[in-house]
Amino acid sequence: MALLPLVGGVVKAQPKLSIDMGIGFYEPTLVGFDENETVQFPTKSIFNRNMLFNWGIYYEFFNNARIGYNSFTSYEIGKNILLINSEAVFRRSLTYRIFPVETFFRWKPKIELNFTLAPIWGRARIEMDTTPGDKTDDWNYFITSFGGSANPVSDMGATDAMISDWIGYSSLLGLRYYINTRLGVDIKAGFMNNQYKASEWRIQRQKVTGPELKIDDLPIFSIKIIYGLR
Amino acid sequence: MKQIISSILFLGIIFAKDGNNKEYNPCNHPLIRLAESKGLKAVPLKDIIKLRKLIKECEKSGGKDQIKKLYENDWKRDYKKAKSMASWTSTHAMVVLVSFGYYFAGKVLATKPGSSN
Repeated sequence: MALLPLVGGVVKAQPKLSIDMGIGFYEPTLVGFDENETVQFPTKSIFNRNMLFNWGIYYEFFNNARIGYNSFTSYEIGKNILLINSEAVFRRSLTYRIFPVETFFRWKPKIELNFTLAPIWGRARIEMDTTPGDKTDDWNYFITSFGGSANPVSDMGATDAMISDWIGYSSLLGLRYYINTRLGVDIKAGFMNNQYKASEWRIQRQKVTGPELKIDDLPIFSIKIIYGLR
Repeated sequence: MKQIISSILFLGIIFAKDGNNKEYNPCNHPLIRLAESKGLKAVPLKDIIKLRKLIKECEKSGGKDQIKKLYENDWKRDYKKAKSMASWTSTHAMVVLVSFGYYFAGKVLATKPGSSN
């Protein structure tokens, strides 16, 4: 009971909500796509390998501390991927969903230094538009190109997507410059470590082997615009 | 009696006119007062455009110093609140700093197994 006024004071004093949007850069090695000898994937470039689209929302729950949600996503889209029966449209995304605990202090009135520790819940997703009647053959051909057993899927439904989830963690150091009291630019550098396993993909509730991706032990940089809502 | 009633009516009209004659001062608007007392971020998002208009009007009507002070106080308020780390937050920052340093030092200094041969 004695702590109640203190808790009330903290909650009342710092209800700050902010949203942010920006881009990130990292350098994964997507072996399963780049060195695939069976399926010709789109040519790698800075946009589909190194660039991450980033958005997030933060709540200042304590003096000098925020919690929130931040999402870094890498996209790749390719047309005319030659399979057995189709020239498929291929879409791949790697989403690093991070749940940061960020502490900070103002070094100067307009400059803030911040420190982030975050668990990661990552998700990779591969979608393909194939010819309707030959889905299973095309998907089996596609999945077998990553290794693993032959013909891993026997029954395809309406959703043509294979998914893999993993966990990881990240640590980031950041510098934020406030343009005005609501608006700021935030630059962060750090690393993330992802426990991804190629053998843990699933499609239509069937476990399959996906592409080999080296996404552990990755340095990451980001720049974003922050807007304080409250 | 007639005189009393007519004098009450007369006074009422005069006071009513007095109320209407009060000059509108944007610098005294409740939104500006709120921004002054609790900071710009305390103003709800839906009122931000209105606040900007009020600030411009206030500046035009001679309240430049008041608006300048409003902004200065807002910066000072944020800076004062966040210039030193409270409670456990410094420990958290140190953990991040150490893990960051350890990781990048490892990147620079560590050798791969077998690379010394």
